[in-house]
Amino acid sequence: MKKILFTTLLVLAILFIVGALSFGSFYAYWNTASPDRTCASCHEISSSVKSFSGSSHQKMHCKECHGTALSNGLHSLKEKGMMVVNHIREERVEDIRMNESQVLNVMENCVRCHASEYANWKSGGHSATYKDIFLDVTHNQTEQLNFDCLRCHGMFFEGTTADVVEPINTQGPWKLKDPKKAGQPAIPCLACHQVHADGAIAQAPDYSKPASIFYQRTDSVSKVSFYDRHEKEHIRSEMLPKLKLFEGEYQVPVSEDPLMRNCTQCHAPNGWHQAGTSDDRTPRGVHQGLSCTSCHEPHSNNARNSCVKCHPAISNCKLDVTTMNTTYANPKSPNNIHWVSCKDCHKNQKSKIGNEK
Amino acid sequence: MERNKLSRRHFIQMSAFGVGSLLLFPQCSPQLRKSSWRFFSVEEAFLMDTIVEQIIPTDEWMGARDAGVTNFIDKQLVGPYVRFQEKYRNGLSAIQSSCHILFRKPFEELSWDEQTGFLKMMETGKLSQTLESRDPSQKGEKIWENNFDRSFFNLVCDHTMQGFYGSPRHGGNKDYVSYRMIGLDYPFTIGQNRYKS
Ligand code: HEC
Ligand code: HEC
Ligand code: HEC
Ligand code: HEC
Ligand code: HEC
Ligand code: HEC
Ligand code: HEC
Ligand code: HEC
Repeated sequence: MKKILFTTLLVLAILFIVGALSFGSFYAYWNTASPDRTCASCHEISSSVKSFSGSSHQKMHCKECHGTALSNGLHSLKEKGMMVVNHIREERVEDIRMNESQVLNVMENCVRCHASEYANWKSGGHSATYKDIFLDVTHNQTEQLNFDCLRCHGMFFEGTTADVVEPINTQGPWKLKDPKKAGQPAIPCLACHQVHADGAIAQAPDYSKPASIFYQRTDSVSKVSFYDRHEKEHIRSEMLPKLKLFEGEYQVPVSEDPLMRNCTQCHAPNGWHQAGTSDDRTPRGVHQGLSCTSCHEPHSNNARNSCVKCHPAISNCKLDVTTMNTTYANPKSPNNIHWVSCKDCHKNQKSKIGNEK
Repeated sequence: MERNKLSRRHFIQMSAFGVGSLLLFPQCSPQLRKSSWRFFSVEEAFLMDTIVEQIIPTDEWMGARDAGVTNFIDKQLVGPYVRFQEKYRNGLSAIQSSCHILFRKPFEELSWDEQTGFLKMMETGKLSQTLESRDPSQKGEKIWENNFDRSFFNLVCDHTMQGFYGSPRHGGNKDYVSYRMIGLDYPFTIGQNRYKS
C-alpha cells in the first residue's frame, strides 16, 4: 500500500518536474527565438506575422509591444492557453483581434519608444478621456446620447454606448457604468495608427552622389490609418475617401493630402456634406485647398506656430496676419480662420456678397 | 571553477530548451505544413488566382486576383461554404485534366485568350458534352458529369463576385477596391448631429 503511494508520488513529482522544466524552457524559447519559429508557427497569428514583416517595426520582437505571456497577467495567459486548446482541437481561429484593454496595454509600450509623440498627443484635444466625452453635461443635454458616439471616440469599446454611460437621455445626471473607464483615453494611438501594416525602415542615402540625395527620395505612403469601428479594421489614409464638400451647389476644392482624409472622418460635415455644418473645419476662403496638417501639427494639433511658414511673404494686406481680426488672434472674432475670405473683411469693395450685408 | 559552473548551467539550460521545444512544438514546425492556405493546396490556389483574374481582370483598378478573391473563397470554404469543398476539389482537378487533354498544358500556362475560350466552353457546358477521360482506368468516363462544367463555372463566378464586391472583412475586396471603383465613398463621411450648430 505504502509502496503504491510512494510510486504515485514519485511519478507525480517527475511529471511535475518535466512539466515545469518544459514550460520554463518553452517560455524562454518563446521570449527569445525569432518570431517565425514561435509566434508565426501558429497559423492563428501567421497572418499578423506576415503583415508585420513588411512594417517599419519589422526588426522588433513581438514582446516589445505585446508583452510576454506572463507580463500581461492572467488574462493574456488565459488567452494564449485558449489558443493552444483551439490549436489542438484544430479549430481555426480567424481574425484574432485585440480587445480594448489589450489595445491600451500595447499603447503603453508605444510610449516607451515614442515619448515625444505621446507628450504632444497628451497636450492636445485627442487625449480626451471617456469622462470628458461621455459625461459632458452641455453635450449630453443638447445631444441625445446614441450608438454612433463610439465611431469617433471610444472606437475600441466592446459594447454599445448604453454599456458606457447611463442614463441614455438628455436629463441626466450621467455616470459611467464602469468607473474605471473614466481616465482611459477615448482616442488612443491606434485610432490613427496601424502597426501591422506596410512601412519602410529608414535608410541612409547614397552619399557617393551627394547632389542626388534629393532625387533618391521616393513618394512615401502616409503613416496613418483610420480605425473603422464597424469593420473592426484599419484603413490606410490613402484608401480613405477624399471629402466632397459643397456650399449649396458649389463644390469646394479640397486638398489631396491623404492625412486630411483621416481628420475628416471625425471632423466631418453633416450627411449632405454642406460646408461648415456639424464639425466641419475644411479650409475655404483665403485658405481654400489647404490641408489640416499645413497648420495643425500631428498629435498636439497645435497651429500656433504655423502662420510663419507661409506668411507674410504672400500677405496681400501688407499686415502681420497673426494680429489681424481672425479667430487666431481672438476666439470671438467673426472671421473664422478656417473659412475667412477677402470679402469678409473688404466688404465695401466690388464684392457682391459683401455689398448685400 | 566559476567557468565550469556556468557551462554546466548552460548545458542544463540548453538541454531543457531542447526538451521543451520538442514537447511543445511538434506540429508547429513550418516544414510540415502543407499549404499556407486553409483549404486550397498551393497549386489549387494558384489556379484559382488565374481563373478569378479572368472573371474580373485588372484594368486601371486591381482585378479579382489582387483583390484577394482566392483568399475570400478559401476562407469561406472552411466556414459557411464547407458544403462546396468537394465541388471545388473536383472542379479544379477537372479543369486541369481537361486542359491537359486539350492543350497539353495546365490552365495557368495557356494564353489569355485560350483561358477565356476555355472558360467560355465551361460556361456553355461544351466540356461535359465532349470530353472523356484519358486515364486508362477510367476510359470512356466523362470528366464533367451532368453539366458540372457549367454549374462549377457559375459557382466560381458567383463566389468571385461576392469576394470582389463584399466587405473586406470576409477576405476579399482588398482596400475596398470595388467600392472605390464604383465611386462609393467608404467609410461614409458623416459628422455627428449638432442640433444647435
Ligand atoms: C511595435 C509594436 C508591435 C510589435 C513589435 C508587434 N505587434 Fe502585433 N500588434 C500591434 C498593434 C498596435 C496591434 C493592433 C493592430 C495593428 O495596429 O496592426 C497588433 C495586433 C496583433 C495581433 C492581433 C491581430 C490584429 O490585427 O488585431 C496579433 C495576433 C499580433 N499583433 C501578433 C504579433 C506578432 C506575432 C508579432 C511578432 C512577429 C507582433 N504582433 C509584433 C503592435 C505590435
Ligand atoms: C521598441 C521601440 C518601439 C516601440 C515599442 C514602438 N515603436 Fe514605433 N517606431 C520605432 C522605430 C525605431 C521607428 C522608426 C522605424 C524606421 O523608420 O526605421 C518607429 C516608427 C513608427 C511610426 C512611423 C513609421 C510607420 O511607417 O508607421 C509609427 C506611426 C509608429 N512607430 C507607431 C508606433 C505605435 C502606434 C506603437 C505602439 C503600438 C509603436 N510605434 C511602438 C520604435 C518603436
Ligand atoms: C463623426 C464623428 C463623431 C461622432 C459620431 C460623435 N462625435 Fe463627439 N466629437 C467629434 C469631434 C470631431 C469633436 C471635436 C469637435 C471640435 O472641437 O470641433 C467632438 C467633440 C466631442 C466632445 C467635446 C465637447 C464638444 O462638444 O466639442 C464631446 C463631449 C463629445 N464629442 C461627445 C460625443 C457624444 C456624446 C456623441 C454621441 C451622441 C458624439 N460625440 C458623437 C466627433 C464625433
Ligand atoms: C488623431 C490621429 C492621431 C493619433 C490619435 C495619433 N497619431 Fe501619430 N500621427 C498622426 C499623424 C497625422 C502623423 C503624421 C503622419 C505622416 O506624416 O505621414 C503621425 C505620425 C506619427 C509617428 C511618426 C512620426 C515621424 O516623424 O515619422 C509616430 C511615431 C506616431 N505618430 C506615434 C503616435 C503615438 C505613440 C500615438 C499615441 C500616443 C499617436 N501617434 C497618436 C496622427 C495621429
Ligand atoms: C478619431 C476621430 C478623430 C480624428 C481622426 C481626428 N480628430 Fe481631432 N478631435 C477629435 C475629437 C473627439 C476632438 C475633441 C476632443 C475634446 O475636446 O474633448 C478633437 C479635437 C481636435 C482639435 C481641437 C483641440 C486641440 O487639440 O486643439 C483639433 C485642432 C483637431 N482635433 C485637429 C485634428 C486634425 C488636424 C486631425 C487629422 C490629423 C484630427 N483632428 C483627427 C476627433 C478626431
Ligand atoms: C490656415 C491654417 C489652418 C488650417 C488649414 C486648419 N486649421 Fe484648424 N485651426 C487653426 C487655428 C489657427 C486654430 C485656432 C483658432 C481657432 O480656434 O479658430 C484652429 C482651430 C481648430 C479647432 C478647434 C477650435 C474650433 O474651431 O473648434 C479644430 C477642431 C480644428 N482647427 C480642426 C481643423 C481641421 C479638421 C482642419 C482640416 C479640415 C483644420 N483645422 C485646418 C488653423 C488652421
Ligand atoms: C500653408 C500656407 C499657409 C499657412 C500655414 C497659413 N496661411 Fe494664411 N494664407 C495663405 C495664403 C496662400 C493666403 C492668400 C490667399 C490668396 O491670396 O488668395 C493666405 C491668406 C491669409 C489671410 C488673408 C490676408 C492675406 O494676407 O491674404 C489671413 C488673415 C491669413 N492668411 C491668416 C493666417 C494665419 C493667422 C495663419 C496661422 C494660423 C495662417 N494664415 C497660416 C497660406 C497660409
Ligand atoms: C481678416 C480680415 C482681412 C482679410 C481676410 C483680408 N484682408 Fe486685406 N486688408 C485687411 C486690413 C485690415 C487691411 C488694411 C486696412 C485697409 O486698407 O483696409 C487690408 C489691406 C488690404 C490691401 C491694401 C494693402 C496696401 O497696399 O495698402 C489689399 C490689396 C488687400 N487687403 C487685399 C486682400 C485680399 C486679396 C484678401 C484675400 C486674399 C484680403 N485682403 C483678405 C483685412 C483683411
